[in-house]
Amino acid sequence: MLALSVDPDSAAIALFEVTKRFGDSPQPAVTSLTLAIPTSEIVALVGPSGCGKTTTLRMINRLIEPTEGTISVLGRDQTALPVHELRRRIGYVIQQIGLFPHQTIRRNIGAVPELLGWDSARIDERCNELVDLVSLDPELLDRYPSELSGGQQQRVGVARALAADPPILLMDEPYSAVDPIVRERLQDELLRLQERLHKTIVIVTHDIDEAIRLADRVAIFNIGGIVEQYDTPARILREPASEFVATFLGRERGLRQLALLRVGDLATIDGPATAPSTSIDDALQLAAAHRVSWVAVTDRDRLLGWVSLHEARALWPDGIAADATIDQLTLRDFIATVSPGTPVREALDVIVTSSTQMAAVIDGDTFCGMITISQIAGGLD
Amino acid sequence: MSPVITRPATAMPNSGRDSFIWWEWIARRPDEIWQRTVEHTQMTVVAVGIGFAISTALALVAVRWRWTYGPITWVGNLLYTIPSLALFVVLIPITGLGFVTAQIALVSYTILILVRTMVTGLDSVPEAVREAADGLGYTRIRRIRVVDIPLALPAIIAGVRIASVTVIGLVTITALIGNGGYGAFINDGLNRRFATPIVLGASLSVLLAIGVDLILVLIERLATPWRRAADRRFQAHTT
Repeated sequence: MLALSVDPDSAAIALFEVTKRFGDSPQPAVTSLTLAIPTSEIVALVGPSGCGKTTTLRMINRLIEPTEGTISVLGRDQTALPVHELRRRIGYVIQQIGLFPHQTIRRNIGAVPELLGWDSARIDERCNELVDLVSLDPELLDRYPSELSGGQQQRVGVARALAADPPILLMDEPYSAVDPIVRERLQDELLRLQERLHKTIVIVTHDIDEAIRLADRVAIFNIGGIVEQYDTPARILREPASEFVATFLGRERGLRQLALLRVGDLATIDGPATAPSTSIDDALQLAAAHRVSWVAVTDRDRLLGWVSLHEARALWPDGIAADATIDQLTLRDFIATVSPGTPVREALDVIVTSSTQMAAVIDGDTFCGMITISQIAGGLD
Repeated sequence: MSPVITRPATAMPNSGRDSFIWWEWIARRPDEIWQRTVEHTQMTVVAVGIGFAISTALALVAVRWRWTYGPITWVGNLLYTIPSLALFVVLIPITGLGFVTAQIALVSYTILILVRTMVTGLDSVPEAVREAADGLGYTRIRRIRVVDIPLALPAIIAGVRIASVTVIGLVTITALIGNGGYGAFINDGLNRRFATPIVLGASLSVLLAIGVDLILVLIERLATPWRRAADRRFQAHTT
């Protein structure tokens, strides 16, 4: 049924034919769900509201008990341990964060270590490590949650969830309560964190872009906890398994694919780039070949800037001198630059908002070439 | 007591046995005032203490098994509405004149106030905070002790303040069944148609109520430093 199968034995979390009914409701919230979450990957559960994604997440740490089916966590049935011990091995982050308002940040972060009976010196040491890990000012440790901004509270929530170094992290809409700028920064931080920690992370979100950005695999849920497709973001975008998935991905599917590509994945062109000693005549021909009115000035593999050829016509209104070269023109900074690591979606934005209709690809100090919209279109095939 | 016929020549003209307050009568009784203060405080502390213990148990039951909250407050209401004198009349044949009878009446008045404020306080704990605590692996008992109760503390202490002030007033009535306290002054004054002890008893009772209330406010401030942090932030944002 699923396009991509994960070996349940090597999975950190495996749900097997799990059904959840609430009360007398005829329609189950989750219907016979089988899903394996691979170790050390980020898996996003995405879907419209009421699709059972949060219910599924909360069944993993038994905040909700399944009506039918079994869930194994780290190779053992989740009911093998007392419920509070199971939960102490699974980090949990929720949308409203739920920091303890009456405790300092230090005690909030140290909550699970305290439950596990660590001594206070070890808890202190761990708190210091964690504030560093989530990029928080250590001075905040002795403040109360109400004194922190939303983004800071979110970081504390993540630090608290990671405090006892659990192998699994569950996140329920962790970023929907913060503003978009902070959200993007927190998402980047999570990815950086994951490069160091290699946790198994299950994240619930209704935001397909967030899922694409963060997850190694995405499970698209339909109403009733039915998984329509479970695959890598690239595969889902390229080959939606059903009409539902295609609709959920929306009209911007192509654009969303761009978010997964990096500039380095694209072919570049040389573009109208030339040395400072080039004659104005040659520069005009080069610019004409690219249908622009400027040339980029390069010194071997360094991009020095660009010059406007309109300026040449203004300088020599009666005809350009044969020995005139482009270094006699005003050198301007090249603003539309991207690096090989830039997501192509961002590069596209740079191109359409610049007056040059091209972006220069610069790796460190090295000029690698130019990209235009046709290179991006080529990358999608 | 033999009546004093002549007014001492040194006495202030408006301070004598015939005036509203005879200061000298009060000044002659430091030991009695101290003794009544101790009695009154003891009665209050014991009543609020027992009421607090019973109410805590009832509030926890009401929060755990929601359906019990209705019946618990119904009984609390009933006890609250019984006039204290009527309750004494009912209890004296069973528990006699004295401490136990007085305490039964006093404790029963605290329960409605305390259970209500405790349940309100526990209900006010944000659902997200509870969910986070559960999700992190707090056992139920530990969560109630470490998270729910501390967060309910402002409401709980507010209840204790109301209960204490109420009880301090009611203790004066229990003097009728021989329990001392400031009520003994009032009884004495009523029996002898002598204003000074009545005013003294009533004033001391009011002062004690104010004093206890202030102490509880102080305790609340010391026990909830996090609320001042929230105020600081609020001020920082509004100024």
